Amino acid sequence: MAHDTADLLFETGVEEIPAPAVLPALEQLQRLVADGLSGARLAHGEIRTFGTPRRLTVLVEGVQLRQEDLEQEVKGPPAAAAFDGEGNPTKAAQGFAQGKGLSVDDLQVRETDKGAYVFATVNGVGRDAIEVLPEILAGAVSSLGFPKTMRWGSSDFRFARPIRWLLALLGPNVVKLEVAGLQSDRLTWGHRFLSESPISIADPSEYLAKLEDAFVIADHARRLELIEEEATRAAQEAGGSVRLDPDLVEEVNFMVEYPTALVGRFDSRYLELPDDVIVTVMSGHQRYFAVEAADGALMPLFVAIRNGDEQGLDTVRRGNQRVIEPRLADAEFYLAEDMRVKLSDRLEDLQRVTYIEGLGSLYDKTQRLEALVGWLCGRVVQVESEARTAAERAAHLSKCDLNTNMIGDTKLAKLQGRVGAEYARRSGEPEEVALAIGEQYRPQSASDTPPMTTPGRIVALADRIDHLAACFRIGLRPTGSADPHALRRAAQGIVRIILDARWRINMPEFIATALDNLPPVENEDAIPVEQAATQIDEFMRARLEAELANRGVPYDLARAVLAAPCPDLLDAFERAVALRDSRSAGRDAFEQVMMAAERTANIVRKPKAEQQLALAPEALEDPHEVALNEALGEAAAAVESALAPDAGRDYPAAWQALADLRQPIDAFFEAVLVMADDEAVRNNRLALLAAVDDLFLRLLDVQEVVIEGAA
Amino acid sequence: MTIQKIFATLNGYWAEQGCLLAQPYEIEVGAGTMSPDTFLRSLGPEPWNVAYVQPCRRPADSRYGENPNRLGRYFQYQVIMKPSPQEFQDLAIASIEALGVDPVQHDIRFVEDDWESPTLGASGVGWEMWLDGMEICQYTYFQQVGGLQCRPVAVELTYGPERLAMYLQGVEDYRHLQWSDAITYGELRFEEERQYSHYNLELADIDMLSKMFEMCEAEARRVTKAGFPLPAYDYVLKCSHLFNLLDARGAISVSERTGMIERVRNIASMVARAHVARREELGFPLLGEQGQAEDQQ
Repeated sequence: MAHDTADLLFETGVEEIPAPAVLPALEQLQRLVADGLSGARLAHGEIRTFGTPRRLTVLVEGVQLRQEDLEQEVKGPPAAAAFDGEGNPTKAAQGFAQGKGLSVDDLQVRETDKGAYVFATVNGVGRDAIEVLPEILAGAVSSLGFPKTMRWGSSDFRFARPIRWLLALLGPNVVKLEVAGLQSDRLTWGHRFLSESPISIADPSEYLAKLEDAFVIADHARRLELIEEEATRAAQEAGGSVRLDPDLVEEVNFMVEYPTALVGRFDSRYLELPDDVIVTVMSGHQRYFAVEAADGALMPLFVAIRNGDEQGLDTVRRGNQRVIEPRLADAEFYLAEDMRVKLSDRLEDLQRVTYIEGLGSLYDKTQRLEALVGWLCGRVVQVESEARTAAERAAHLSKCDLNTNMIGDTKLAKLQGRVGAEYARRSGEPEEVALAIGEQYRPQSASDTPPMTTPGRIVALADRIDHLAACFRIGLRPTGSADPHALRRAAQGIVRIILDARWRINMPEFIATALDNLPPVENEDAIPVEQAATQIDEFMRARLEAELANRGVPYDLARAVLAAPCPDLLDAFERAVALRDSRSAGRDAFEQVMMAAERTANIVRKPKAEQQLALAPEALEDPHEVALNEALGEAAAAVESALAPDAGRDYPAAWQALADLRQPIDAFFEAVLVMADDEAVRNNRLALLAAVDDLFLRLLDVQEVVIEGAA
Repeated sequence: MTIQKIFATLNGYWAEQGCLLAQPYEIEVGAGTMSPDTFLRSLGPEPWNVAYVQPCRRPADSRYGENPNRLGRYFQYQVIMKPSPQEFQDLAIASIEALGVDPVQHDIRFVEDDWESPTLGASGVGWEMWLDGMEICQYTYFQQVGGLQCRPVAVELTYGPERLAMYLQGVEDYRHLQWSDAITYGELRFEEERQYSHYNLELADIDMLSKMFEMCEAEARRVTKAGFPLPAYDYVLKCSHLFNLLDARGAISVSERTGMIERVRNIASMVARAHVARREELGFPLLGEQGQAEDQQ
């Protein structure tokens, strides 16, 4: 049945929403409206969303003007309750029929897998979309989640920022709804200063064009392109090229409705400042883009995106120039003050800076890092290598930037490490040392890259394991989603660094070393060292599981691998990859091995083995059990030699040795009765199977693997 | 535009919008928010629209008068409207226009900046108001004051008159600002900045200030319990200023700091609760006037 359709437009006008909140809100809006429409049986075309600092908009093409009629079967009471012994309807049947607007004669009885039930067929007549939409749209805007919400005026309604208008149109008609005490209308507001507002919208199709006439580019994707074009053009005209930091572009995009770029200038003497500092002062405080010359060096210029057109651009430029210079002057002052003291001479001073209450000073932390770096170097690099020297020096200086004036400025604090690197260079430290200091806090986020240099990786690992050990030891373990000490990020960092570097580090030893290094802990929430070690190990495994997923390991194989003993993260990863590759090379063969192994595991793990059954090979009688035992011996030897460190740990070969056990296992189960009457025979067979299960557990716990063929 | 002209213009503008023109509070405060005309009046259900200049002190910002942008004693122009009106943002912009700024020729923006005062147990959601990249006002919807939820919500607009004037007058140093046509800010205030900086950063007697802090805290508690939150609030303000002085003298360690802030917050919250209770006892008198006003509409 063909239906008339019309476009649906819904705009929520607000006081400026924080830039980072706009896109997530639009994604929710799109989903909520789509769900609402399909829940209301309103077919529709494409759904698009548009966002500016002042508006969250959703535009749906071709919304059906009337709901589909709905013929729906509703389940009622069991037949036994609906009709008495003589087949007469009971009160239950009458009540059910009445509730659906039907008579008892309209009810039908049908068998279900839970017995016979009464059913009613209900005919819902479709309502007009314009009657249904208010609830959907008002519900959508009221359900939007934001990181932080507020109240305003006298209402208890909460939103990211105050809502100031609502525009809701279905074709030419206003969808009448109310949110936060405001009534919807066909009015929107253009650019705050460049247009005469409000503007009346006759039909959704003219929304974007009318707003553009009113100096609002509502389509954020287009606005983003404009910002990039504008910024690029403006920088080129000034003889440079703009550094378009994607995060900053996105932030600026949701701070303006009509972008116009301008180039400002600052005194070139500020170029003496570290590049990171200049860029952070410009982007962090003022949301300016940096401009570089052809050789990549910063120029004494910035690109600002103004919210408006070309009018008064020179005034705006001069104003912005006035703001940036005092901020750069502050940084210049910090640098001059900081340079009076060599980076290495700042170490003593760290005794006065608390790391975490009860865990000593940053000086103490530095000493712990030096010890951990030494421990790590003994395991991953040559004892007398340059990398070791650089890592030790970098650890020694790693926290010395934390009591500089530069990092003391809260807006520049995020440059920790990077400022230390720059100061190390300026103090004449070798470049590898500076790089390692600069890399020690990386990766800062999921999208950030881990350290690339060996000394950087070593210092970063030491810094994180000490942080985890310290926090867990004093009882600061994360609960729920709260993680104020960023322990998840620290653990994830360890996993990523180790997997990238392909280092074999025994985690229980690493954790124990870090815990041993800590000063005596006396606070009341402290937990014993052994318990902290277990908690950290479990915590690391959870992060490893997440990271395995990031690296393309299916979740069941990740769990299977992690359920087997894995003292070393890389080992777990390589086992998982070998299993994944084997399964994708041939799912059937893989699953047959798994089924054989799982059958084994199911038998030997079922009775909680109270005592270790000892296998007596000489007592094996049946040729199939003898054959399995022999195959097991060969497989065990093959696994051992494949996994030997000097054999390069050939996981595919180890897995192949296990896979070769499938045939003898299957033959064994076919021919041999495990649960023999004779207890000695039975126990010997169970012992044999337990040995098979143990060998599989060197690589994985088969019970965690999802077997598709085993439905 | 001279500083006194800015004050006069803003007074005229906000009086037109129905604000009461109040006078500065006479106890040392760190911000216009701490005046009872904001802190206490933003509590409870009574409507309240007010504008005033408030001299403020931040001892730690003392720079002997030599820093062109930073002062240990400065001014704020403060506007409070409760409940926050629907069109408040437009009013805020129009007030800047009243100062001679043509928004079409400039870039006026609202940039996310939420506000929190741990000592007052207060927080709000809002923005910095930018004029060509420079923060000229702080625009905040109060959510909590003195540990109490704000219902209805008061909106606060705080201007930094020195910054605004430096921009309007095209001056790079506060000393060169024209306060009136005849007198500069430097002529009026440089010597004061110099002397107070020496006092705040070097001379203030730490032992005495610490004792005074204890005494003022006790007095705030005693007077609140006796049922007089208004005079008790004076001692909250004194505690806050004494804390700031001790801080400027470098006499507060990191661990002490949290504890002292909490002590001030506790007495501020006590006073806030007692004040609301007293207004309720009085039958929220200003609520009656609004009721009548609404009847006439």
